[in-house]
Amino acid sequence: MRLHDFPWRIGVGGALLGLFAVIAILAPVLAPYDPFAISGPPLVPPNSSYLFGTDMLGRDVLSGMIHGARVSLVVGLVSALCSAVIGITVGAIAGYFGGAVDRALVRFTEFFQVIPSFMFVILLVAILTPSLGSIVAAISLVIWPPVARLVRSEFMTLKTREFVEAARSLGLSHGAVIVREILPNAMPPVLAVGSLMVATAILTEASLSFLGLADPNMISWGYMIGSARSVFRQAWWLSIFPGLMLFLTVFAITLLSEGLGDKTNPNLRGNQPGL
Amino acid sequence: MEKLITLVIAAFVGMASLASAEEPRRGGALQSVLWPEPPGIMTGINTQSSALLPTTKIFESLLKYDFNLNPKPNLAESWEISPDGLKYTFKLRRNVRWHDGKPFTADDVVFTYADYSIEVHPRARQVFERTRVSKIDDYTVEFALKEPFAPLIRSFDLCCLIVPAHLYKGTDFRNNPNNLKPVGTGPFKFKEWKRGEYIHLVRNDNYWRDGLPYLDEIYYRFVPDAASRALALETGQMQLATQNDLELFDVNRLAKLGHLDMTTKGWEWGSPIVWIEMNLRKKPFNDKRFRQALMYALDRKYFRDVIFQGSANLATGPVHSGSPFYEPNVTPYVQDTAKAEALLDEMGLKRGADGKRTTIKLLGLPYGEVWNRAAEYTRQALRKVGIEVILEPSDAAGWAERTRNWDFEMTMYFLTTLGDPALGVSRTFLSDNQKQGVLFTNHAGYANPEVDALFNKAAISTSDDERKKLYSQVQKILVDDAAVLWLVELIWPTVYSKKLHNAVTDASGPNGSFAETWLAK
Amino acid sequence: MRFAYTFLAWLPRALLVLVAIGLLNFFLIRLAPGDPATVLAGESGASDTRFVEEIRGRYGLDQPLWWQAATYLRNLATFDLGMSYRMQRDVADIITERVPATLLLTSTALTLAIIVGTLLGIRAARRAGTWQDTLIGAVAVLCYATPVFWAGLLLVLLFSVSLGLLPPFGMSGFIRKSGIAAALDVLHHLVLPVVTLALFYFAVYVRLSRASTLEVLGRDFVRSARAKGLSETRVLYGHVLRNSIVPVVTMAGLQIGQLLGGAVIVESVFAWPGIGRLAFDALIQRDYNLILGIFFVSSIMVVLANLLTDMVVRAIDPRVGRS
Repeated sequence: MRLHDFPWRIGVGGALLGLFAVIAILAPVLAPYDPFAISGPPLVPPNSSYLFGTDMLGRDVLSGMIHGARVSLVVGLVSALCSAVIGITVGAIAGYFGGAVDRALVRFTEFFQVIPSFMFVILLVAILTPSLGSIVAAISLVIWPPVARLVRSEFMTLKTREFVEAARSLGLSHGAVIVREILPNAMPPVLAVGSLMVATAILTEASLSFLGLADPNMISWGYMIGSARSVFRQAWWLSIFPGLMLFLTVFAITLLSEGLGDKTNPNLRGNQPGL
Repeated sequence: MEKLITLVIAAFVGMASLASAEEPRRGGALQSVLWPEPPGIMTGINTQSSALLPTTKIFESLLKYDFNLNPKPNLAESWEISPDGLKYTFKLRRNVRWHDGKPFTADDVVFTYADYSIEVHPRARQVFERTRVSKIDDYTVEFALKEPFAPLIRSFDLCCLIVPAHLYKGTDFRNNPNNLKPVGTGPFKFKEWKRGEYIHLVRNDNYWRDGLPYLDEIYYRFVPDAASRALALETGQMQLATQNDLELFDVNRLAKLGHLDMTTKGWEWGSPIVWIEMNLRKKPFNDKRFRQALMYALDRKYFRDVIFQGSANLATGPVHSGSPFYEPNVTPYVQDTAKAEALLDEMGLKRGADGKRTTIKLLGLPYGEVWNRAAEYTRQALRKVGIEVILEPSDAAGWAERTRNWDFEMTMYFLTTLGDPALGVSRTFLSDNQKQGVLFTNHAGYANPEVDALFNKAAISTSDDERKKLYSQVQKILVDDAAVLWLVELIWPTVYSKKLHNAVTDASGPNGSFAETWLAK
Repeated sequence: MRFAYTFLAWLPRALLVLVAIGLLNFFLIRLAPGDPATVLAGESGASDTRFVEEIRGRYGLDQPLWWQAATYLRNLATFDLGMSYRMQRDVADIITERVPATLLLTSTALTLAIIVGTLLGIRAARRAGTWQDTLIGAVAVLCYATPVFWAGLLLVLLFSVSLGLLPPFGMSGFIRKSGIAAALDVLHHLVLPVVTLALFYFAVYVRLSRASTLEVLGRDFVRSARAKGLSETRVLYGHVLRNSIVPVVTMAGLQIGQLLGGAVIVESVFAWPGIGRLAFDALIQRDYNLILGIFFVSSIMVVLANLLTDMVVRAIDPRVGRS
């Protein structure tokens, strides 16, 4: 790790992310208009009343962007959390028990890494009908393998340590050993991977919405960009600004996770976030 | 004196140039957009809108219809309807040949209506099951009915183009090898279909109309992207695009360009209307006041101007304004949110602490961005009067599945009302047409005996005047009842190069045979 | 000999995976609401039960589920991917027609990403700690964080709409050219989609080659080579390439699956006629056989790519054992 680049990544990334989180939480207060309401004439370019213009129905783009932060961050965090749970479970069991269980679970994990993940996600979301729930579920089902592999290798290393033997000799069950003894020690690298998974989840949701697989009762950045494709040439602001916010969010998360020291983590090379 | 001579010369020159400008030019290849690539172009079997464009150049019908939906001779030279409306006799043209050289006779017509269309085309089935077709002689055909059916004369259109009996009789229609190289009587013959690229048609040199068609050939090119299609017209690489080929925004932009023209004529037969159908079996939709409140809450002008970008007319009721049976004097339903709120209050649906009176669901039509915006606007408009709307996303199959199985609260779509109310309008409102599992029937569960009686009487009436009176009455009742939330009548624009003449000459529009179409240099 | 062994060891695993994918696909799609019979009937404005039932019978949709599943798997084994309801053609034919376009797009993008990424990574490592290093790193992160579809739209806005330099969509103009003109036309259309797709992946290779180069720079033989007076650059490139080729190839193999996902988006944005776009169109139309076929074919491509990279890695460095 290089001293001079370590703190600024966390600093800048964290600050940006914090800003977006605040925006998301305070969305109803911050947004100048109701993002769904038809507040002005359609297709107005950015001006003083509508900072980023209006869309083809006359809805304020800035308000849409602010509320879109909620969707992105919620989807990102919840998906990352759910997939972390799946990944940790699979990885812990595989790494701890080894043997046939490990082999089976490794195959299971590999299967999910082989299938073209984005195609699988659009398949799932379309089948389950697009909604916040189905999007989160579909994304979670696809992005957990890196966590599983990481946790597995951590567990394989850690289970041979003395404190584990000590715990077992004290009569602790396997479950207790896994959860109370090993897992806390395995967490730090998982956090770094986890933050990247948030980025992946956000990008995946945006791509889904862009292609039209979105919950129509929510405003999402990807959806704003995708629905503006038919007027793309005339109303460039509808594509540029929501995309900018999306980009900055992912950028912030990436900076943050790089700063958290993931760049030397070999497991990360196996699966990069995004598509 | 000099001035007079100059004037006379100018007049002659002017008239001469006018005359030459109108003289159709023989020759040229028309490049037309076609999207999406249809699975096939066999009439009757492939009925998607994009299949119709090439099909109608190869095959022909007995009759054509002008812009007022009056029947005109085509393969039928003349016809007679008996005074009791039970016998229709058609005299067929004699000098017509199939593209493979065999003569066209009454056998082909009888086969088409008694065997082929009934077998493959569901709409044809509904109409022609009422008739018994028979051959009187080689060039005379008779349709006999048990009870009169006035719309019959308007049914000889795109659904039942005549097919060659000598190639199809006794075969498995859907797997007949001629489906891939269709043989018709039309002005253009099938030449080649390069999948993924184009369909190529060439002039039928033995066409029964002397000297026609003017065009040497037609190419239907498949261009997957709407922006590309617009670009093709803009650059002059293609000369024709229609219906849903172009985004509405592009249509308006292209129409303003100097070398392109736009027409909205040619869909008089289709007459599509957009509406929101409500499931009347569910509360509060069974209350007329609720339905009327919804109508008053919506600004239909917004649909017309913003969502459909002017490519629409206000729909006042179930019958299209272009139909001879249209009744304009119905309850107007101009947007009036105060009235809407009053009706809702009267019903007992008061606003709660959060401002909401009730929550309902809308199943939108998943056919593109325009429809997404329409659903979103509906939600906004109803929210203003305290009705919360949850939008239900779906895809084409899902929408069809839910609508036909009555699994919806509100569903938005458009329906072609097909030239005659007995063909396209009554099916939505007749109480005995509630067929769960079948699309484009009475999904809502509307049941009004008065409406039933009026529709049924008008269907078998033989007097146009009587029919007009009956349909006027039924429209007044349906609109007042807000049986359905009528939004707009769709206008499907056809954008074409100024060099292309006579592309849209009757009610079939770009789905005409193009026998008289020509391209200037 | 090595290859044969690798292949034989790989085969049963691959087959198992493919069968699992086949079954997974099959049951997933059956869970969806709506079915092809309805879509086809709805399209023609028909409302006739008899018509819908006819379609169902014709496509075997009225058979019991297990029969359909077993038949599907059996057909997969013979590469009979069924018939597309919507397009009335064999799925295998449709996919075969479109695969080359996707292969062209993804392989060019991957190659571009690897070459540019590696070169920039080496440069960054050699100038480690300087502004060049920081700049390259920043550019890499920027590309990494940019959503694929947004990048595509931006590039179109800039290069097509504003500057008019490059075509915004399609693989070629409307009127087909032939020979060299056709190839050049495709190349012209290829630029924007390839750059869009490559943007994200190039960041990964920058990182990889930078790390790899740093490692090489620290090794003894480099110093001794310098001492011998050999050109540092030649030594460096030689060893860096040797050092990083294994991780690069391994990484590339692992990324094929994601590349295909990225292709879905890029092909949609640029109307590129490959299987990514086909997959999405098929999904909208609930063209079951077609979607399943595409998913299956993509999985085969990933599995094959993994095998290929495995073999290449072994060929380069026989010391690499099984992971």
